[in-house]
Amino acid sequence: MTPTVSATGLSLRYGSVRALDDVSLGLTPGVTGLLGPNGAGKTTLLRVLATAVPADRGAFTVLGHDPGSARGRQEVRRRLGYLPQTPGFHPDFTAFEFVDYVAILKELTDRAARHREVRRVLDEVDLSDVRGRRIKKLSGGMRQRVALAAALVGDPGFLVLDEPTVGLDPEQRIRFRELIAGAGEGRTVLLSTHQTEDVAMLCHRVLVMACGRIRFDGTPAELTERAAGRVWSSTGRDPGAKAGWRTGTGSFRNVGDPPPGADLLEPTLEDGYLLTLDGAGHTEVAA
Amino acid sequence: MRGVTRALMAPVWRTLPWRTLGAAGGVGLLLAATARVSGTGGEPDRWSTLTLLRAAALAGALGLAFLLDDPARHTTAAVPARRPVRQALRAALVAPFAALWWAAALCLAPAAARPPVGDITLEAAVACVLAPACAAAVVRLTDRARPGRAVAAALLAAAVLAPLLLPDRWALFAGTDDVRWEAAHDRWAVLLAGAVTLWATCAPDPLRRRLRSRLRLRRRPPSRSARAGSA
Repeated sequence: MTPTVSATGLSLRYGSVRALDDVSLGLTPGVTGLLGPNGAGKTTLLRVLATAVPADRGAFTVLGHDPGSARGRQEVRRRLGYLPQTPGFHPDFTAFEFVDYVAILKELTDRAARHREVRRVLDEVDLSDVRGRRIKKLSGGMRQRVALAAALVGDPGFLVLDEPTVGLDPEQRIRFRELIAGAGEGRTVLLSTHQTEDVAMLCHRVLVMACGRIRFDGTPAELTERAAGRVWSSTGRDPGAKAGWRTGTGSFRNVGDPPPGADLLEPTLEDGYLLTLDGAGHTEVAA
Repeated sequence: MRGVTRALMAPVWRTLPWRTLGAAGGVGLLLAATARVSGTGGEPDRWSTLTLLRAAALAGALGLAFLLDDPARHTTAAVPARRPVRQALRAALVAPFAALWWAAALCLAPAAARPPVGDITLEAAVACVLAPACAAAVVRLTDRARPGRAVAAALLAAAVLAPLLLPDRWALFAGTDDVRWEAAHDRWAVLLAGAVTLWATCAPDPLRRRLRSRLRLRRRPPSRSARAGSA
């Protein structure tokens, strides 16, 4: 399938920190997950692809438009929905007024059509009942849905979502997953997350980033497959394991190169992710 | 773009920091009115009237430093409506009120001690353009959604230090009887042009990071805490 979003050699430095290091990728319609530890460069990559910050080097196109020129960037932004990591709002606006404001910024100038569109997206994120409520009176999960509605307004072809499920309770997270899955039908969605479950349930493809580079690019099944035969259980912490942690049953789950005769376990996406990060970034496992 | 600008007027009006602007304007008018009672023996004093009008202009400028504060900056970072248009709209909505406010401040100052209106208005214009221009520079060069506080602090420090530190040949804060008055106002005019240029340069979204690299400015990697606290 021809990529709708393709990037080559994207690099960006913050002082001495190399946030993006020669990143190349191609995205196709559907939800692509972006996994990686803190500081891996996920947010920076999303901000570059969302045209919120320019890269130092490299180029990319979104739906056939190159944001390297002012006109090209306008065209990209007309086709883009962006949900930042910590969305900000005008707290005195109601949910409807805020999404309407973003719709105007997205050049939807016909008032009647715009209001119809705002009602549609608020309905899509299940906020119709509270659309007249001020944002400062909404819960964290509701605000996150207002931000998603703002990203969805105008029916963008490319949706960039930066950790949208952070801080949500399990019920809200499931609801959000449903919304993202719906948004991914017919659109290209790039979803940055720390939740391997989100990727397993939502994504047809997954990218793993560490130290500003793409370390893995494939399907969730392929990432899981990386850990096949490399996950085992033991009664104590195995010093030979790349990562290991105590499970609820009291036994230890280890990933790495198992010792002979080890009690092998069925791998998960998380195991594949941890093995991919090995040596490329910290694994953040409480062993 | 005209349709977008027209549609944006009402929501942008609501996002303006009216309380801050109102407070700053109120303080400015109070300072200007103080000039009426500041003279000795019932006669208004020219020097204190000039100083109080300058202080009033500074108060107004401190309020205008918050003009570009936008808690939704990151949520609206990737929209097609251009940043210069949005900033110009904010300025255009506030400008008539700023003009009326300054006219009121001048009227409050005693006529007998009032400095030349054109010259003192030039000084006020520099302060009131420089503040949002610096805010535009902060927006351009950093991830701050609310540059107002930092800019106001810097502006206040500059206003206090400039009369003390500027050498004689660059003097800006001359008295009306001072022979340097005219030369100082030539410099104020240059400053106004500089402030306008700064704003015009910093308003657009950068396509490349050349300016930041040249200035060797370091933008911290985006962090949750840097952008929190918006709503």
